[in-house]
Amino acid sequence: MYGFLLSFAFPSLPFFARNELTPHRRVIIREDPQEASVYIADYIVSRIKAFNPTEAHPFVLGLPTGSSPEIIYKILVQRHRAGEISFKNVVTFNMDEYVGLPRDHPESYHSFMYKHFFSHVDIPPQNIHILNGNAEDLTTECAAFDASIARHGGIELFLGGVGPDGHIAFNEPGSSLASRTRVKTLAYDTILANSRFFDNDVNKVPRMAMTVGIQTIMDSREVVIVATGAHKAFAVQKGLEDGVNHMWTLSALQLHPHPLVVCDRDATLELKVKTVRYFESIESAGTDARTQGPALVYRPRTYMPAPIVTKRTAAPPRQQPTPDRTPVKVPKDLRINTELHRTMEDDELTPDSMSSRMVDSAIGGLDGALKNDLIFDRMGARMTAQ
Amino acid sequence: MPGKTTPAPRITKFTNCRLVRGSSLIEQDLWIDSLTGKILKDQEAFYELHLSPDEIIDLGGRILAPGLIDVQLNGAQGFDFSVPCDTKEEYDEGLRMVNRGLARTGVTSYLPTLVSSTAEVYHKVLPSLGPTAKTHQPTDGAESLGAHAEGPFISPGRNGIHKSEVLRAAQTFEDLITCYGKDNLDSSSPIKMITAAPEVGNMMSQIPEIAKRDIIYAIGHSDATYEQAVTATHQGATMITHLFNAMRPFYHRNPGIFGLLGQSERRRPYYGVIADGIHLHPTSIKIAYNAHPEGLVLVTDAMRLCGLPDGVYEWTNGERIVKTGARLTLEGSDKIAGSSATLIECVNNFRRWSGASTAQAINAATAVPAKLLGMQGVKGSLDAGADADLVVLGESDDAYSGPTLTVDQVWKFGAKIFDSDVKGGGVAV
Repeated sequence: MYGFLLSFAFPSLPFFARNELTPHRRVIIREDPQEASVYIADYIVSRIKAFNPTEAHPFVLGLPTGSSPEIIYKILVQRHRAGEISFKNVVTFNMDEYVGLPRDHPESYHSFMYKHFFSHVDIPPQNIHILNGNAEDLTTECAAFDASIARHGGIELFLGGVGPDGHIAFNEPGSSLASRTRVKTLAYDTILANSRFFDNDVNKVPRMAMTVGIQTIMDSREVVIVATGAHKAFAVQKGLEDGVNHMWTLSALQLHPHPLVVCDRDATLELKVKTVRYFESIESAGTDARTQGPALVYRPRTYMPAPIVTKRTAAPPRQQPTPDRTPVKVPKDLRINTELHRTMEDDELTPDSMSSRMVDSAIGGLDGALKNDLIFDRMGARMTAQ
Repeated sequence: MPGKTTPAPRITKFTNCRLVRGSSLIEQDLWIDSLTGKILKDQEAFYELHLSPDEIIDLGGRILAPGLIDVQLNGAQGFDFSVPCDTKEEYDEGLRMVNRGLARTGVTSYLPTLVSSTAEVYHKVLPSLGPTAKTHQPTDGAESLGAHAEGPFISPGRNGIHKSEVLRAAQTFEDLITCYGKDNLDSSSPIKMITAAPEVGNMMSQIPEIAKRDIIYAIGHSDATYEQAVTATHQGATMITHLFNAMRPFYHRNPGIFGLLGQSERRRPYYGVIADGIHLHPTSIKIAYNAHPEGLVLVTDAMRLCGLPDGVYEWTNGERIVKTGARLTLEGSDKIAGSSATLIECVNNFRRWSGASTAQAINAATAVPAKLLGMQGVKGSLDAGADADLVVLGESDDAYSGPTLTVDQVWKFGAKIFDSDVKGGGVAV
């Protein structure tokens, strides 16, 4: 809608020629987990197809594990078997992996990915990147993972789930919003929750995991989050309606230009009726997220070698649970930064259309009359920003 | 045929299939490596070696099972293991023919079985019947896991159709050596199993000597009482040859050999069952299965007439056999002379009669005999590292006999050697 108005007003700006790519926050609500998963699977398929990946120019996909994504993988496998999509030219990076769990342990994320996805599709094994939780030097492993993402030109689409406490990947409450791939100690709730996969024995759950950081996720060009079930409702409410907060790391996406959150009805239980209706009205206005991803532009690969770590003689190979420093800061100028390719206008629009709207929405709950004013105001501000 | 001339793809993945795992069928993929001839630890190969399948075979929901194992098979294709040929070459050629023919019935490994014969016969044929694992090629078909010497140290009263004149009684181990030949009882013996009556001569004290040589001692063709049978298991007997047939029948005051399935003081032995519908009543099989489900081994006891038309055929030692359908009897008597059923038919019969699940019925011809032979994890298994001897089983609903499994494909050491969809069936045979 805005895109249409603006392009009418400023037809000469090339940016608006592709108005379907207008960055904005998209929240899609479906009746049940199955429908939500179908939506996401279709979305991923359409994004890969639109990208038209080749061997030299693959589609880089970030992937999660968990019970919600499991359904998505199942549908993707069906799509693949039906001949609708090939993963030959897709490169994947997985979000996380337990530390110290044997790779072939049934609960390792290597096993999960193999069992639910990789073994059923045509992805070449060398295109797959999963953190090695048994690496001798975990710090180097994490840095090399970030470097590898950079080498592949950054992540095009990061698919993620969300924990009941609002965590994305293993970025537990309290994680730095500027974090990159590193070793994390699991929160006690997470250990408790995951013990169901380890004979209900808390002591068998690994205490540490390696995970991409919030910044790693934020750097990807597009983030798609699946949240299904009533137990995710609080996290969704905190992430969507409250402000950016490191205790609910999902909320960091408010600052991302292209997030897509797909919920089932249950996961919206804690949201305001107003919020739900608002997102539903956006969808019913004909703005189908499946055609609204960010521009799939070609980004040259920036080669960044993995940092060479000089062996510390006395130090034990495995480091403390939580390193006191983030492993090897990636230099800013070498980062794969999609923003380099975006116009000024693009940046202007992003915060406006999303997070500010959300904040308004939360405050606006106090007063119905104020809401109208704010929205009117919002339009005006937007127009003058141009 | 293609499989013979062009190099086969190295890694094959079977998908959309149901694997026999334990006592159930589960939907899972299976990866095999034709280079090593083994089932792959697929996840490790994928992540560690970056291997991905060269060929993906969609089995359309069919069952993928380990290749069948027959531990009692006297011959096939008109060839009888117990009849020496003029030259060893001629005999070996006949053996190759049997191997290729057997493979088409889903049997990928077996124990070529010798009926009671003279020492001369054993000396002549045993060297040809030993395990061939090291040199065996997929195109050779079924593989011998070693010979099964059924006799001649058996009870004259329970001889079945074994010729009485050649039966012996052993007092010392020397007697066994004289009979089978010294080389055939040495450490890498071609013999894998000996069926003998423990009560005949002084066989009881020879059992430990036999077991020591890694040869399975099977109680069979025996008039042993329950007490004698128990003593035999103490001595090292781990198997009963064709339970119920050619042994003292179950009697409530002395349950005989069958009683071994009822006791719980010692490990119950494995036992062979001929589920051809002629040798045993279905209910007898059910009783045995209910008593000891983990020990039931399906065997065919098939002989060379398997697959030949009805009529009267020459048998060993100048006697003749009448073949009427699957029924084989000694001319001039009602004595059953082995069977001409295939192992998959026995699996089908057993499944219908016993109430066992499909996987359990298949296990009785795969995993259980492998365990009996001490080859678990190598044969009769779909676990990673096991030999890639496989059968693809189709399921049809026979109007007359109900649900029936059919052998659609046979794979040996990771290469397809039979496919019922290919005209003539033979891929490489």
